[in-house]
Amino acid sequence: MKPPLRGLLLAGGRSTRMGRDKASMILRGNGQTQAANALRLLEGSCAEVFLSLREGQEKPEGCGSVEILRDAVSCGGPLAGILTAMRHDPESAWLVLACDLPFVDAGVVSLLLAGRDDSPFTAFASAFDGLPEPLCAIYGPAALPILEEHAARGHVCPRHIMAEEGARLLELPAAARHALENINTPRDLEMMTRFSDPGAAAPEPAGETPGREIRLGWFGFLAEQRGRREEMLVTPAGTVGVLFAELAARDGTVGFTPGVRFAVNDEFAPPDHPLKAGDKVVFMPPFSGG
Amino acid sequence: MNADFSISQHPLHVTPLREALSSPDCGGFVHFEGRVRNHHAGRAVTALRYEAYRELAEKEGALIVTEISRKHGVKAAAVHAVGDLRPGDLAVWVGAAAAHREAAFAACRELIDAIKDRVPVWKHETYADGKSSWIAGCDHAGSAGNPDHQ
Repeated sequence: MKPPLRGLLLAGGRSTRMGRDKASMILRGNGQTQAANALRLLEGSCAEVFLSLREGQEKPEGCGSVEILRDAVSCGGPLAGILTAMRHDPESAWLVLACDLPFVDAGVVSLLLAGRDDSPFTAFASAFDGLPEPLCAIYGPAALPILEEHAARGHVCPRHIMAEEGARLLELPAAARHALENINTPRDLEMMTRFSDPGAAAPEPAGETPGREIRLGWFGFLAEQRGRREEMLVTPAGTVGVLFAELAARDGTVGFTPGVRFAVNDEFAPPDHPLKAGDKVVFMPPFSGG
Repeated sequence: MNADFSISQHPLHVTPLREALSSPDCGGFVHFEGRVRNHHAGRAVTALRYEAYRELAEKEGALIVTEISRKHGVKAAAVHAVGDLRPGDLAVWVGAAAAHREAAFAACRELIDAIKDRVPVWKHETYADGKSSWIAGCDHAGSAGNPDHQ
């Protein structure tokens, strides 16, 4: 018989790069905070749901009366919250969800539940590198001693632990392959807004020509997703950020890509950098040199 | 090509860089060699490819070398490899020379961290099972720091 399932919402991150609490942000059109939406998802599948916070942290907005588990492990990061919960109830399996995954919905959660077996870890394979996605995953009772042992050795990255120990890996369907992309910075947030509705974010200045011819370059996994490294394109997009969002939303070849950086004419450029005919625009995924 | 920072086809030639940082007024010289590891997240790595956005990488790399040289009063240089590498090969080299060792150590550490953070270079790994993937930074390290990510 399968052990009972508890839900754990991880909201103890410091949101350092975002500069404000990600759990309290409203990212979806229903006007609810990320924490509220994620709690509702967990409540739909779990007998009991808990909110993971670090010591001294205020409860994010929209969480109601959910029971709170404060980090009782000093290793930091999401592992501290996961270990605290599993020690609280070692007989249960835990459905763990981070509060900064706005694209995860009931369909994604039900796929995860359907794929669950007796493995210590059940997780989706990253659409990007095939490694397990640890922050929308099920941790069975057998995971606890494994996590304790890694934590004792100073290994605190659940993705690395899962990869090393072996997880039951599920594939995301093509239509949901970007479902586990997260939001880390104000730029990610701005991109997500445009990703959801690129047309609304691109008011065209009056009198401008309707399209500009732009030279595009792609690097790393973006080049692989796009299927090319260079191309010429005529676009009505007024800024580099809108151009990226349009390409991502329109044909789906590239994803929302947290941390994407832009260059215009071989200089770093912010998302609101205006485009002009003849520009060379380069899209860069997060760097991995060294 | 900038003299202080370059993107270079594998294999790297570091002797001229070392010699350029040699000076009678510098009593301390620290260098860091980043080499290709034969494992990543529990998978055996058999080959690795780096690609760079060369125009921007060399500009940003030169800016980093200039900033850190001024901050610590050191002479510094760095080079990052592109192309096909194997475990053990030299991927990145950073050196800093100063009158005294403290500044050289500090500058060398800051240089490699800034290069990893700011220079547009991407790593593509091939594994023993024949699969391969692009590498991106990992967000799951705790605030206490994480040996997996050093």
